[in-house]
Amino acid sequence: MPEAKHNVVGTAPVRRDAWAKVSGGARFVADLDVTGAWVGGVLRSSVARGRLRRIERDPGFDWKRVVVLTAADLRGVNAVPMINDDLPLLAERDITFATQPLALVAAPDRSTLAAALAALLPDVEPMEPVLDLDAALAGAPVVPGRDNVIADYTVENGDLAAGFAAGDRVVEGVYHTGLQEQLYLETQGVIASPHPDGGVIVQGSLQCPYYVHRALSVGLGLAEDMVVVRQTVTGGAFGGKEDYPSILALEAAQLALAARAPVRMIMDRHEDLAVTPKRHPSRISHRTAVREDGVITAAEIDVVLDAGAFTTLSPVVLSRCILHAAGVYRVPCVRIRGRAVATNTPPNGAFRGFGVPQAIFAVERQMDRIAAELGIDPVEIRRRNLLVDGDALPTGQVLADARAVRLVLDRALELARRTGPETAPAGHERRGTGVSLFFHGCGFTGDGEDRIATRLRVRWGGGQLEILTSNVEMGQGAGTVLPMIAAEALGLPAERIWLAPPDTTIVPNSGPTVASRTTMVVGRVLLEACEKLFAKVRRALGDAEGLPEQALEFKDGRFRSGDRDLGDFAAVADRVVGETTIEARYAPPPGQEWDAETHRGSAYQAYSWGCNVIETAVDPDTFEVRPLRLTAVVEIGRAIHPVLAAGQVEGGSLQALGWGALEEIKTRSGRYLNDRLATYIIPTTLDTPEMVVDLAELPSSRGPFGAKGLGELPMNGCAPALAASVQDAVGLSVSELPVSPERLLELSLARDAGADGSETP
Amino acid sequence: MKIALTVNGEPRVVSTHPLRHLLDILREDLDLTAAKEGCGEGECGACSVLLDGRLVNACLVPAFQAHGRDVRTAEGLGTVAKPDPVQTALVAGNAIQCGFCMPGIAVAARALLDRTAAPDRDAIREGLSGNLCRCTGYGRVIDAVARAAEYHRYREENDPPSSPPAPESDGDGLHEDVDPAGPPQPGLAESVRVVVPDDLADALARLRVEGSRMLPVAGATDLAVEFGLGRPHPAAVLDLSRLSELRGVRGEAEGLVIGACTTFSELAMDSLVGRRAPALAAAAMRVGAPAVRNRATLGGNLVTASPAADGLPPLLILDAEVELAGPAGRRRLPLTEFSGRYRETALAADELLVAVHVPAQPAGCRQAFYKVGTRQAQAIAKASLACRARLDGEGRLRDVRVAAGSVAPTAVLLAGVAEWLEGRFLAGDVAAEAGRMAAAEVKPIDDIRSTGAYRRHVVGTLLTRFLTDLIT
Repeated sequence: MPEAKHNVVGTAPVRRDAWAKVSGGARFVADLDVTGAWVGGVLRSSVARGRLRRIERDPGFDWKRVVVLTAADLRGVNAVPMINDDLPLLAERDITFATQPLALVAAPDRSTLAAALAALLPDVEPMEPVLDLDAALAGAPVVPGRDNVIADYTVENGDLAAGFAAGDRVVEGVYHTGLQEQLYLETQGVIASPHPDGGVIVQGSLQCPYYVHRALSVGLGLAEDMVVVRQTVTGGAFGGKEDYPSILALEAAQLALAARAPVRMIMDRHEDLAVTPKRHPSRISHRTAVREDGVITAAEIDVVLDAGAFTTLSPVVLSRCILHAAGVYRVPCVRIRGRAVATNTPPNGAFRGFGVPQAIFAVERQMDRIAAELGIDPVEIRRRNLLVDGDALPTGQVLADARAVRLVLDRALELARRTGPETAPAGHERRGTGVSLFFHGCGFTGDGEDRIATRLRVRWGGGQLEILTSNVEMGQGAGTVLPMIAAEALGLPAERIWLAPPDTTIVPNSGPTVASRTTMVVGRVLLEACEKLFAKVRRALGDAEGLPEQALEFKDGRFRSGDRDLGDFAAVADRVVGETTIEARYAPPPGQEWDAETHRGSAYQAYSWGCNVIETAVDPDTFEVRPLRLTAVVEIGRAIHPVLAAGQVEGGSLQALGWGALEEIKTRSGRYLNDRLATYIIPTTLDTPEMVVDLAELPSSRGPFGAKGLGELPMNGCAPALAASVQDAVGLSVSELPVSPERLLELSLARDAGADGSETP
Repeated sequence: MKIALTVNGEPRVVSTHPLRHLLDILREDLDLTAAKEGCGEGECGACSVLLDGRLVNACLVPAFQAHGRDVRTAEGLGTVAKPDPVQTALVAGNAIQCGFCMPGIAVAARALLDRTAAPDRDAIREGLSGNLCRCTGYGRVIDAVARAAEYHRYREENDPPSSPPAPESDGDGLHEDVDPAGPPQPGLAESVRVVVPDDLADALARLRVEGSRMLPVAGATDLAVEFGLGRPHPAAVLDLSRLSELRGVRGEAEGLVIGACTTFSELAMDSLVGRRAPALAAAAMRVGAPAVRNRATLGGNLVTASPAADGLPPLLILDAEVELAGPAGRRRLPLTEFSGRYRETALAADELLVAVHVPAQPAGCRQAFYKVGTRQAQAIAKASLACRARLDGEGRLRDVRVAAGSVAPTAVLLAGVAEWLEGRFLAGDVAAEAGRMAAAEVKPIDDIRSTGAYRRHVVGTLLTRFLTDLIT
């Protein structure tokens, strides 16, 4: 592959925040000592559905010591502004999910807070909750006065009846996935401080400063300039700090304004697990028409996501889910319907992958099922249906870079063959290999980026470049990668580039840090800002030197005119422009059309692609599943920082393997039972396979220096590849996550009893 | 109470509630915030610190047990000018993402390298198995620690450490504390007396006076969890962690005497235990993760009497006895009589479990311990099985013992199947039939971790495996 010449892009400098984090110097929100801060807490419903009659206060408690807010006491509106504003901050009369907030309490210290919460006695008439998707679809009452179907979208392409007629047989499968917790190691936390002018300052662990800003401004009824949001060092987010911080910030701000004191709300792990949004459970049904040679002629896919009781982000998750539901395959005739359905459970929310892991689990397992039914090798059945350049996705979007999917498949199989485990299987274990192919649309869906209208600034002065953006470092490396883009663009050394603090009084709204958009979308706007700055400096240099701009050359970071050296960018910029601030805005790519009603057009500006090969050992006596080696090849356009990029792939893959093999939340009456770290099980070092990661690069025209999105992609493929590897090892076909020993035992017993060892649709 | 401790080389005195945790003292009183709270119950390792040089979870160390100790946090590992090799390697290898777990990982890696100069990748995985990271997938962290081991060896050879590790404290100055000072803490009783006995006799004398009002505490690893789940606070705690006479393993007539306060780390490393009670050594290695094993004791495991206690099944198959000391002197009980009901034991309120006796095992016996957990480390057993047996000269099974955990209200000996196997030839369908019998003999339940059907199944298949392995 021809390498464009870059000085910075493609290198691997040490992360800027590394020393502070490893030495303990980095201050996370819980590490901040705010003078005079009170602590806030939430009284929550213990039932999933009911009617709140009143909240009694134990007369034995001295209520003058604390601040208590019920729905009637709130400032502004009793709603959390998101897509719809249907989620109340505090329940008024109707309780619609377990853990729903009923009252807020602030106290000078934790023991007083605990005593106050214990002295608030909600009088609730419990009602039977609606927890089953089919019951909810049938219209059982979930939230009074509202339809249970929160969103209902269809994507269609081609003549479905003709497509089914062209196939030799129809293969059907139903696939289920459950709740998953992000489990960022740092729990949710904010500190809200009242400002003497009546405004509020909120600092906390969050992904999207301007989401929180809008929620506070609209929710509290405060002018935009009366609200300040500042991100603190954030200990992981994975989507979990996209929507929930708006809720926590509103709770803390309501209390801070009422108490006239700063209020800390740092969740403990138990509360965080019990309360915060999880990955949407899914039920995805596939009907696929195939010819005997394995070629797909048509598919009908039905997606149902459990949204929980309120809208929050579910319509967007659903949309992304159905847009990926047909996978990386050419399906000439297709209909995909998706519904997000309300149940009496806590609202589900954003989690790395955002509906795509569910879609890919279903379609990849369906491919394995088709392979098994036709007696064709799973890799071969994929090859016969892979998208190629010029093929259209179900939205009609024609792909120019679909060859990437064959590239990642070939390279992953080759790497897996070369690096496969040398160790012989231990006496009892069975080994198997599974393969998955996947993709991820980069940036917001459809015209989402147009609506966000990213704004970003760069400021030059005193020999330094400052980047002003609301996109945050949360572990993924944006704080290192964005400066690298500017360094490459301007030929500047890294130590001259700074990221402004992510504070809404300082940085413009460049959108949320979500949707695999920061490097590609925001990075491109940054590149444009740098190019504008560069043009300004060159123009000024030309004016100062009395030279036409064409006479100025810029090479290896220095301006020259003929053989005269005019200095490096910093020296020249200081000399000829001094201080200047440049703003750049997002501009939609030419020719991009999207119809949100029909889901037709360019769903995403670009796609990243991936292949996972997993080799797994299964103990046939205990059905314990041990992934031994994961080979992950991803095509991401261009890796700005290949080591951080590989780190994203490794971490995302393990999170996906956790979802595939270990992580599970059982529920009772709408409450999560796995609400402690002793029962919510994520992988340790000993549960982690060796990983071989390779980055493939087909530079994209959409991102800076060819870069595409990466963050979510590695979440998408590991669960189906793991399930396939287990099927290869012991012949049991799982269509529901996690691939737990208990589930494998059930399948094995069913097989022994005469069934075929696959979960029936 | 007032406690005195050394933190990162500096002597500190803190006034605190005795049951408050070292983590809160570090973060709130001493403004050392490198150690983080990720779970508050010893599951995540974000609060890893070194206590007298050993890796522990600061969220599980009550203040009274931190008194007189030497504590090292990530702040004390190195400076920008002179970083710890572990820190250098984590930074240089870009092994850090969100960083919340990193101070804890650096401390755990330091503890590993202090013990093992040249760990291989498996040893590094084991050493870090109690430190959860959600960002990195661990690969680069493991690479970095391997690199650090190289730096470390270089530095040891060229720049040896100047100060020897601090000696263990016997709790001087803390013999009794009746003045719990400091601000009230949520969930903490207003007044808890701490008693640090001079020796076992003193401990027993105190216990005789206080009875059930006094809670003997050894490794304290279950304490935070149990208080968190609502266990009421005792009026007083008796600190057994400093009684050296309750610690250690000694050989006795081809058997073993194990002090009740011997930690699982010590058991796992002990060569006598490895030779004479390999099933127990294997079980010890599967308890929690290093920081938990460094604190949790065998005696605590037996007294807590969880059905999932990893120590119980191996001791049951070894015909172990417990030695109890009380006002009337000492008595010995077979383990089967000590622990018969859910989380209950035969221990009287004025008695202490002081030792576990493992008798000499019949010559030629093979032992095995299997644990099927929710994951490979930091796991509570879904089911566990310990087995012992030998084949005599004719090829008949002899001295058969089978015990299972997490399949009944307490760990149980499976006497029926053992009796059936005794004297039998291991031929034909015997191993499989024994598995079926074992599965039928246990009465497991469905719970949050697993299903009764699964537990029953693995008890059976693992016994079959043990028997099959006997003749191969």
